[in-house]
Amino acid sequence: MTMLAPWALTLAAGLAIAVPVHAHEVVGTGPNGGRVTDAGKYHVELVAKDATVDVYLTDVDTKPVPAAGFKGTAILVVDGKPARVALTPADGSRLSGKADVPLKPNPKGAVQLTAPDGTSASGKFN
Amino acid sequence: MSIRFAAAFSATLLAAVVLAGPAHAHGGHDHGAPPTPVSNSIAPRGEALSDAFELTAVPRDGKLTFYLDRFRTNEPVRGAAIEVETPEGPRTATETADAAYMLPAPWVAKPGNHDLLVTVTAGDVTDVLTVSLNVPDARAAAPGAAMAQPSPTQDALTAASTIVGGLKDRLVAKDPVLVATAAAAFLLGMLVVVVARGRRGVPAVALIAIAITLTLGTAAFAHGDEDHGKPAPAMPPVQGAALIAPSEATTDLAQRLPDGSIFVPKPTQRLLVLRTTMTEAGTFRRTVELPGRVIPDPNASGVVQSSVGGRVSPPPSGVFPRLGTKVRKGDVLAYVTQPVQAVDVSDMRQRQGELDQQIGIVERRVERFKKLSVTGAVAQTQLDDAQSELTGLRDRRAALDRVRLEPETLIAPVDGIVAQAAAVSGQMATPGAMVFQIIDPARLWVEALSFDALTAAQDATARLADGRSLTLAYQGSGFADRNQAIPVQFAVKGDTSGLRVGQFVTVLAGTDAEQNGLALPRSSVVRSGNGQDIVYEHTTAERFEARPVRVVPLDGTRVLVAEGVGPGKRIVTLGAELLDQVR
Repeated sequence: MTMLAPWALTLAAGLAIAVPVHAHEVVGTGPNGGRVTDAGKYHVELVAKDATVDVYLTDVDTKPVPAAGFKGTAILVVDGKPARVALTPADGSRLSGKADVPLKPNPKGAVQLTAPDGTSASGKFN
Repeated sequence: MSIRFAAAFSATLLAAVVLAGPAHAHGGHDHGAPPTPVSNSIAPRGEALSDAFELTAVPRDGKLTFYLDRFRTNEPVRGAAIEVETPEGPRTATETADAAYMLPAPWVAKPGNHDLLVTVTAGDVTDVLTVSLNVPDARAAAPGAAMAQPSPTQDALTAASTIVGGLKDRLVAKDPVLVATAAAAFLLGMLVVVVARGRRGVPAVALIAIAITLTLGTAAFAHGDEDHGKPAPAMPPVQGAALIAPSEATTDLAQRLPDGSIFVPKPTQRLLVLRTTMTEAGTFRRTVELPGRVIPDPNASGVVQSSVGGRVSPPPSGVFPRLGTKVRKGDVLAYVTQPVQAVDVSDMRQRQGELDQQIGIVERRVERFKKLSVTGAVAQTQLDDAQSELTGLRDRRAALDRVRLEPETLIAPVDGIVAQAAAVSGQMATPGAMVFQIIDPARLWVEALSFDALTAAQDATARLADGRSLTLAYQGSGFADRNQAIPVQFAVKGDTSGLRVGQFVTVLAGTDAEQNGLALPRSSVVRSGNGQDIVYEHTTAERFEARPVRVVPLDGTRVLVAEGVGPGKRIVTLGAELLDQVR
């Protein structure tokens, strides 16, 4: 016991730390003033103004991800009706699209992204 | 010895601080996929929630089946429009007969992660849901199954190695700083122990320890970010499931999972008619059940009685009102003609003759006076007196006739319908006998016998034998004992159709005692094998978990959950006992 106890304690501490942090929803405000949510391995920031929908793409470290090669679709609920907005890469990390109807400042909806490698990811805005 | 322990503790603490650093510094969140559960015998599926809907997507044979339910009640939603953003563009799923929605989706056969955007419109509610479908690679799954059939010890080892592997994964994949931190902390711990055994240079060691901790800790904190997109660690292999060859077609069967939760696929949920309710904390009055009886409202009902004995005859319409006939207040329902006794008849004849005689005499006198008064032989006053006498005599004669002819009319005292009728033409009615009972069917009361003193103005409900319930408004209670209980009267509020006077009902009335908790229907609580009361919580779309609860009775239909579940949980209210049978 005399020799074992310290090592056992050390080991126990190591195991205790190994318990991973729990997952949770993310909602926040991004650098462009929009709401941020998770979409697969990316973070997306949704900025809706009038009929224009801008989606900014960032990665793990909230570093911008070049939007080139990405495809996207946003479906936003306007006055109880869904509005489908196709998103195309614009400058930098931005994907942009135009809706048929003017949007409210913080619409409910979701964004789906297809990366250049074909994987898809989606994020929900409540 | 104490120093050795102190050293061990400091090493532990050091390791804890250094390793825990990144975890605390982790300012964000995990981007892990939702736990892909269950066993190999269950087809892959995806689900999504919103505050209105619960959507489950099951890919099978190149088709995608969506099951849409209400989030709170688990009721299938019919007639909704489901539009899906697929890799081939937007597509609309068609509704099938069993309230599912089908979408041909050949692309779903491709293994990997499919993220779908589903727009649901049901009635005036529109929701956009994101569904993540993880279709496993059939070939990749095969080797895993080849090493199947592990013994229980192997099982435990596998589980342990998975946890350790997860940590290793996390450490290796994360960044070298973290690994270095962990390693340094470990070495430091060793160093401390070694030095402590020598019982030398303890302050120096402490200094070094602090210095290293600060350096490494700062480095760890500098990585202020989160863990992204790591595939969720595979579930520990399930022994039962491992026995099933993965090549077999996956059949979705309701089953009890190794963690004790119950997996019930959506089609089975619909067969079992599983319904849920959202728990809400509240204050409830304890209620008592009282035996009661429907009575007519005393202000809207009446009886029709004859005040005299006599022969009953129909009203002018020629027919007596039948049972159920609508009558208005003042309607003539029947006549009662008094019979005239023989002695009375002779008496009346005598009087009649006398009057007729007198009328004859006075008539002649009036004639004579009329002629003479013109000449002035008779005073005008004498003529007037004679005329008044004649009028008086005629009135008396007429009244005598009327008394013989006029029967008593029986009239309806209130508006309503004829509830009882005892009139037969020609029947002799006795004085005070009830001929008709009139009741307003829209105004009924309930009289209950209570053994407790009820709170005044306390509303109650009544339950009928067929399960219907009535809302009652308290009217008053007696003060005199009847069968060692107090009669309490309530007015029935709302629809009274189908009720009849005298019908027995069960009255549920509140008492003064108040209780706090969550009210659930009695049917949601089932008794588990060990005799414990449990309820089933609907945790995810197709999973139910048993929760032991402590319940106290509330009223006839509900129980109060005092402990075991909190508010805001979806608890199965219908079909809980069927769920309990799932093995």
